[in-house]
Amino acid sequence: MLLEMERISKSYGDVNANRGINYNLKAGEVHAIVGENGAGKTTLMRILYGMEQPSSGSIKLNGKEVFFNDPKEAIRHGIGMVHQHFMLFPNFTVAENIVIGKEPGVIKFDRKAAVAQVEALSKNYGIKVDPLAKVGDCPLGVQQRVEILKVLYQGAEIIILDEPTGVLTPLEVKELLEAIKALTLKGKSFILISHKLNEVMSAADRITVLRDGEVTGVVEASDTDVEQLSNLMVGRALAPSIKQPSMPKHPVLELNNVSLSGGGSKKLLDSISLQVRAGEIVGIAGISGNGQSELIQVIAGLLSPDHGKISLLGANMTGRNARDLRDAGLAHIPEDRYIWGANKSATVAETGVMGHQRRLQRFGILKRKVIRGLVSDWIKQYSIKAGSLDNQTQNLSGGNLQKLIVARELAQNTPFLIAAEPTRGVDIGAMETIHDQLLRKRDGGGAILLISSELSEVLKLSDRIIVMYEGAIAGELQVGEATEEKLSLLMAGGKRNE
Amino acid sequence: MDQLFDLALFNSALRVLTPILLAALGGALCARVGLFNVGLEGLMLIGAFTAIVGNHYFENTALAILFAIACVSVFSLLFAYLSIQLQANVIVVGVAMNFLALGLTTFSLRTIFHVKGAYYNKEMIGLPKWDIPVIKDIPVLGEILSGQSPLVYLALVIAGMIWYYFYRTISGFRFLAAGSNPLAARSLGIRVQRYQYGAVLACGVLCALAGAQLSLGQVTLFTEGMTAGRGFIALVAMMLGQSGPLGVVASSLLFGLMDAFSIRLQGLSMPSHFTQMVPYAITIIAMFFFKDKGFLKDAQNSGSSSR
Amino acid sequence: MNKFNKLLHPLIGPLAAIILGLLAGSIAIVVAGGSITETYSEMWKGAFGSFYFFTSTLSRATPVILIGMGAVVAFRSGFFNLGAEGQMVLGGLSAALVGLYMPGPAWLVCVAALLAGIAAGGLWSAMAGYFDVRFRVNLLITTLLLNYIATLFAGYMVAYPFKDRTGSAAMAQSAMLDNAIWLPKLFKGMAVHAGLIIAVIVVIVLFIYLSKSVSGYEARMLGGNPLFAVYGGVRRTSLMIATMFASGGLAGLAGATEILGSQYRYIDNAFSSADYAWTGIMAALLANANPIGTAIAAFFLAALQTGGMGVELNTDVPLEIGSVIQSVLILFITVKFTRIYWKRRKGRKQDGSAV
Repeated sequence: MLLEMERISKSYGDVNANRGINYNLKAGEVHAIVGENGAGKTTLMRILYGMEQPSSGSIKLNGKEVFFNDPKEAIRHGIGMVHQHFMLFPNFTVAENIVIGKEPGVIKFDRKAAVAQVEALSKNYGIKVDPLAKVGDCPLGVQQRVEILKVLYQGAEIIILDEPTGVLTPLEVKELLEAIKALTLKGKSFILISHKLNEVMSAADRITVLRDGEVTGVVEASDTDVEQLSNLMVGRALAPSIKQPSMPKHPVLELNNVSLSGGGSKKLLDSISLQVRAGEIVGIAGISGNGQSELIQVIAGLLSPDHGKISLLGANMTGRNARDLRDAGLAHIPEDRYIWGANKSATVAETGVMGHQRRLQRFGILKRKVIRGLVSDWIKQYSIKAGSLDNQTQNLSGGNLQKLIVARELAQNTPFLIAAEPTRGVDIGAMETIHDQLLRKRDGGGAILLISSELSEVLKLSDRIIVMYEGAIAGELQVGEATEEKLSLLMAGGKRNE
Repeated sequence: MDQLFDLALFNSALRVLTPILLAALGGALCARVGLFNVGLEGLMLIGAFTAIVGNHYFENTALAILFAIACVSVFSLLFAYLSIQLQANVIVVGVAMNFLALGLTTFSLRTIFHVKGAYYNKEMIGLPKWDIPVIKDIPVLGEILSGQSPLVYLALVIAGMIWYYFYRTISGFRFLAAGSNPLAARSLGIRVQRYQYGAVLACGVLCALAGAQLSLGQVTLFTEGMTAGRGFIALVAMMLGQSGPLGVVASSLLFGLMDAFSIRLQGLSMPSHFTQMVPYAITIIAMFFFKDKGFLKDAQNSGSSSR
Repeated sequence: MNKFNKLLHPLIGPLAAIILGLLAGSIAIVVAGGSITETYSEMWKGAFGSFYFFTSTLSRATPVILIGMGAVVAFRSGFFNLGAEGQMVLGGLSAALVGLYMPGPAWLVCVAALLAGIAAGGLWSAMAGYFDVRFRVNLLITTLLLNYIATLFAGYMVAYPFKDRTGSAAMAQSAMLDNAIWLPKLFKGMAVHAGLIIAVIVVIVLFIYLSKSVSGYEARMLGGNPLFAVYGGVRRTSLMIATMFASGGLAGLAGATEILGSQYRYIDNAFSSADYAWTGIMAALLANANPIGTAIAAFFLAALQTGGMGVELNTDVPLEIGSVIQSVLILFITVKFTRIYWKRRKGRKQDGSAV
């Protein structure tokens, strides 16, 4: 056995992230770890990579017990990690990014040798890159190749891939899976962390399933199916939610030829025209980084478009700020709860009242009692574990904060809602609650723009689906005709290239 | 002296730019590893004072400078410990540092030399003026470069050395990496904190040299608060130069010229109040051309994203 | 136990900082050849030893409190206004000029002078705010640099056009104000004046504003996470200009009360050498920008300075002992200040270990 992790436990204060996990890996094998957010996948890998030390348990490499104090030691033992958020230096070249930490030369950095070595490496493993390109200018698929080459350059035998496909186009995903196959033939082993069961099924030899920090099953990929895996992951079968057909009425949000330049040659948003009507959910699908964030910000009044017109309920809102839009009938579940959705150092009540503060006042003084009552109600309704109202927001777990934000924005009771990644990081139960609430808002005549990087979520909730590619609309599908295959093709820019 | 521009102006510009350049290079080193060091002014002041103290006790300028370097290093280590280890707000620590420097130097001026305001002793030796053999005979360049204190030449050499370090050495490459993406650097096992400490310490040494040039370079005396805002000018020079060694040299040169120019203007019976304002006003105007990132970008970069 | 901890916890930082400050002071005293106990007791006497000394401390604390409040307004909204010195100088100068040249009944002139002080400090500060929102010029640096320009400008004004030519001394200062427009003293023969009452009112108003009002809530959220505030509909630009005006206005008011209440004329460098502005900023940092805490901190910092004067008068230790203790104290207090206000910036870095 190449790697054995035995009875690994890790706790942070009262939270047990890992509880007695056993995991092993054979040479030349792809052994995937699947589980929901917070199941303990990342913690386990951080322990293996030396970024964290386990509370108890042992790690054996080739039968010998090892202990890593920092990533450097793990790297020296032939363990490499490709992080979910790439660990690259955008201002440096591809070659520089690959050789960093083990640069050729004595004192003086021999950049020519670096380029030569990277070229040789790239040829040897059949992974194509341009050593002199600036990493910041490379597409995400290329950046991932750089990450993998970096790990190989460091001499890794075991390669950890943490959620490797989240930012890739379907074609890039295919290339990645092929590269993994090729590398296993050269004797490399992979630990693949993912929550995308289809990809795991096609790439892995074995699969370990985690739930709440514990192993709930280890199965051969050939003996299992997606259904069994998801049962192991969630612990119960999911009730399919029933959606009534939509009855869209008058248009609520209208975008007309909205464009936004990013300073560079490429436009961030390229002549976007769309409509969201009362009583429907319009889903935006796309690989992340294709203009969705900018679209949200433009609609929410956080960025001004360079061209085009935005109107809400018939009123022209182009270039108006978030305050005006909120007054005109916007609520907004932001895509990143920490960047946009909360003030970590404020209390739960203070984070909860944002957007409501001008309504709940008298002579400029906040109505403290009313506010506290309101937030308490949400905490009950969404079973948010918040401690007290005066607890600091940063003490809330990601899922609980997400629920608080969703409750806050739904309580605005506005005709229009932007729901960006509304269930990111919440558990399955809360996801069902949030989905039900969104559908109820729709049935009550609300207009919702849903942006999500989870195709399954978009497919489940939307009445119409718009696909974005490189800042433009690549296509639009009715819910009946949309399938994952059709969407994937559009997401990769398929239609535009025809 | 009725002429505003001549070669002597450049010669004196080089002299006055030296402390600014040295401190700005120190600030640039800190900025490159993510520490915005507002304490340059204070470190420079301590450098100026301890150089005079060293000169007083050792009666040797070289030893005096070494003494200043040692003293300032202690303070820069304190700065490093508070802002790196204890994660204190770098700007607040920097401001407090300036305060401490002013208080301590004034306090020590009274306890050591028993004087108020300024200490001057005509027996003290200042830094020598050097003429560099070949260069001094080159027509224009010779007149500008000759007759400066060794620290002036050293400052220019150090700028070149930092450039070489950043862009040619392995260690410098990692230094830049640690600053540009600490998280990624740490994931590779690069000891980011070690580079931060190194940068702050080097900054201390440079500020000590800057201070020594002030108190031992042109004149040989110490007055209370004699840095008079040069640390802040250095900070701005560093920002204008975008923390690159060559850019810092260029922007320091601009300030040196401004400073020398404003001294010239005083000769033309302009109230000194206005001539002294020139560097500050120019700095603010210059900042209009080097805009900060928008607060949106800034906050998004620093904000932590969801896990 | 938990409640006890909660009460005690915020005090640990300041206590540790005070102890370190006094320790550093002790070392300085020993170096200066003084006796530690004697020096500290002289310091205590100089600050609180008699009713007279106590009121002198209060009088010194008045501008420091006002400047501290100005800093609180700005810091709470996340704007680092380090320009209090220049704002105070311009406020003082304007108050002096209005007091000297405005005709009318004395009370009206006094009120107008105070308002002129607020307006001058406020506009100077709002200008830096405007540069930031409109042209993205770094606020921290502009406010710092504007200090020098303001001080030099005021110096010019009293050295040339408005120089007092009646006295024999060649000092750069304005003429003396008519004593009818002086702010009244609170106790006969004592230094403390009506400015203190103004300062106390400001503290109370600011406390209510920050903790109870909609706008105060918005300002605090802006300071905590600007993106969150803007997302929630806070108008950053107007709030920033207003905040900077208020912040600078309070510094200007500090200058004006100082002129009308204790100096009665604008003297070049009088404010700078007394370090009112930086002391006020330090007080705000010390107290985590809490208005009541800042007022208390301002009082104690003023006591350190008046105490320092007592020390110089009666021992061989120079008065800068006060500023040594003060700066060491501040140096260490920031460690705590950081945790509250700057965690956001470090959240990402610490993610791995701090969860």
